[in-house]
Amino acid sequence: MIYLDFAAATPVDERVFKAMEPYFLSDFFNPSAPYLPAKRVKEAYEEAKNELAHAIGAKGADLVMTAGATESINLAMSVASGKILYLTTEHAAVRESARRFGLSFEEIAVDKTGLIDLSDLRAKLSGDVAMISVSAANNELGTIQPLSAIAEIVREEKQKRLARGDKTPLYLHSDASQAMSLIDINVRRLGVDLLTINSAKVYGPKGVGALYIAHGVDVKPLVFGGGQERGLRSGTENVPGVIGFAKAAVIAKEHINGNRKKYEKLGAILREELKKCAIEPVFLGNKKHSLTNFCTVSFPGIDAERLIYKLESREIYISTGAACAASKGEKSHVLTAIGLSDTEIAGSIRVTMGVLNDEEQIRTAAREIVEAVNEEAERTGLVGGQK
Amino acid sequence: MTKTIADGVKPTVFVGMSGGVDSSVSAALLKDAGYNVVGVYMKNWSKDLPGMKCPWADDLADAKRVAVKLGIDFKVFDFEKDYKQKVVDYMLEEFKRGRTPNPDIMCNQEIKFKLFYDVAREQGADLIATGHYAKNDGKNLLRAVDENKDQTYFLCRISEDAIEHTIFPLGDMLKPDVKKLAEKYGLHNAYKKESMGVCFVGDVGIRDFLREYIDEEPGEIRDAETDNVLGYHEGAIFYTIGQRHGLNVGGGIPYYVVKKDIAKNIVYVSQNLNNEELWTKSLKLTEMILRGDVPEIVFVRLRHRAELIPAMLKLGNDDTAELKFTEEIKAPAAGQSAVIYTGDAKDSSKARVCAGGGIIAG
Repeated sequence: MIYLDFAAATPVDERVFKAMEPYFLSDFFNPSAPYLPAKRVKEAYEEAKNELAHAIGAKGADLVMTAGATESINLAMSVASGKILYLTTEHAAVRESARRFGLSFEEIAVDKTGLIDLSDLRAKLSGDVAMISVSAANNELGTIQPLSAIAEIVREEKQKRLARGDKTPLYLHSDASQAMSLIDINVRRLGVDLLTINSAKVYGPKGVGALYIAHGVDVKPLVFGGGQERGLRSGTENVPGVIGFAKAAVIAKEHINGNRKKYEKLGAILREELKKCAIEPVFLGNKKHSLTNFCTVSFPGIDAERLIYKLESREIYISTGAACAASKGEKSHVLTAIGLSDTEIAGSIRVTMGVLNDEEQIRTAAREIVEAVNEEAERTGLVGGQK
Repeated sequence: MTKTIADGVKPTVFVGMSGGVDSSVSAALLKDAGYNVVGVYMKNWSKDLPGMKCPWADDLADAKRVAVKLGIDFKVFDFEKDYKQKVVDYMLEEFKRGRTPNPDIMCNQEIKFKLFYDVAREQGADLIATGHYAKNDGKNLLRAVDENKDQTYFLCRISEDAIEHTIFPLGDMLKPDVKKLAEKYGLHNAYKKESMGVCFVGDVGIRDFLREYIDEEPGEIRDAETDNVLGYHEGAIFYTIGQRHGLNVGGGIPYYVVKKDIAKNIVYVSQNLNNEELWTKSLKLTEMILRGDVPEIVFVRLRHRAELIPAMLKLGNDDTAELKFTEEIKAPAAGQSAVIYTGDAKDSSKARVCAGGGIIAG
């Protein structure tokens, strides 16, 4: 098997799995229970939260643990007391929750590489905007957004509001699910008020996420009950999940530089090999500002879904755009937003590398992709059949 | 048949592919037989659940996977609007009138063997094919060899023209053999769970489906014999004659719905299986469709896979007809189809021709 869809799911790191194991089997106590072993579990949980928070330059108390990025994003959007601006290429979790929680919403445009159009942001940043949501890196293209620059625009707007005595709060949220294992995420340096992170994308267990909340952001719970997570997210703590997420985040942080270089090298090989296709590949995303493990590419005229089914029978697993968009039978809103034609969108695949991949795998996968593209091109008469 | 392989031309067949094993094997067989095969997924209407992943996405992916595996072209025909109008709305209207329609029959008549057939022909198909268990001798629709799977009941209202241009590759096969073939062809869906019930209703039952479109209106459940009120229901239209479950009346011996008064919104039930409302010796039919000359003595099937009952068919005016039986039969609900089989007047196993059908009046 050659797995090349790490943006969709990552395998749990064995060290992570080992760290979680005792909290399933022996140290299973409810952290709120009154006896000593339970208290120790509570301490281990808090310690894990601290470690996780440190990995993004925050404190344990700044995090609310959730059941994944979607929940974190919903909680973040629920803070908005006015209009929500979000990048047109945001994940459905942002778009759908912004529509639900915002008094109104508007999309910020991106350029052809998926990079935010800062002038569009400035133009749309009116006095009634209460929330801006921009992902740290896009999940279909890997394009990394200039969050610090966005935070600076937000800061200026906040100053203007204060200067005229306007107390309308304005917050910047970022979904860093895709980015966390590949670029250094530091909430202070980025200047975000709210940040979503997701264990499932960093070799941790699925169903665990967190929302970082800066001081002074007035978050109200969406889930009510026993008052866990400072009342912001009731429900017995997912101790093994959070232990695993913390461990995964620490490991990811240690390997950020090594991995970045590895994927840069593998990505270059992959792109070079794909140029051997009978159809010229169109590489998507931003050359300079991109997660290095991403290679989103279009073969115009080819039906990418057919490529995926061909490759799956050779045990090579890649994706078209985001899994959700594809399974809904809709065309990718991200690829539409960057101005691709329907033919280019239909011919787009997303290859995302991860720890399991090595050069041999990438070369094999590239060869198989080229073969599948050529077979399809020939079958549909896009290129003449040479015998 | 218009064109055959023997003519030396490779006829183009558009195969309706649902993602299930039957239509997948059909496509594989046609390809092996030398046809130029194009797989088509018909996107029919499904209820819009806000925020929910569309239920057909997995089926579409399964169908396309098989097409890729077989190396055939694949298309998606979007029939959502027509399906909603001609099948779903029809079904809702019938229920509102207190009847029990059969949407699968309507789907075959209006969508699969009309719209799909027309669009396929427009796009260059010489023939169409489906994974139905049925046969075709070039002119007549015939029962499948697999008596257990025979689907001619659902196909009873399709046109002669469509039959002439349709191939049913599974007509001579038994279901277990189809599964084996799927394995042989390496199809991933060889063991896919078969879809049951009305396709667009999905996993929710028909009653839950109807509730979303038809307002509830509480009414009485009365004993058909004594006229006593036994309980209350949430709308007579949600009930079907012969229904035994979900009646909200006492335990013990089960009650059956024997009659509905739609105007007064009363459901009549009985514990007596011999209640006269439940039995009849004749049926009035409307909207008759008959292919070819049909004799007076026929066999009739009143639901999918039900036994063939001998009957006398008398045609009336304006597509009406009457069926007379020698013995009393359990009365089917109005709106259901009575399907006519011919080919032998005495031996039901030899009455292989599905000659048409009518809608039970009432």
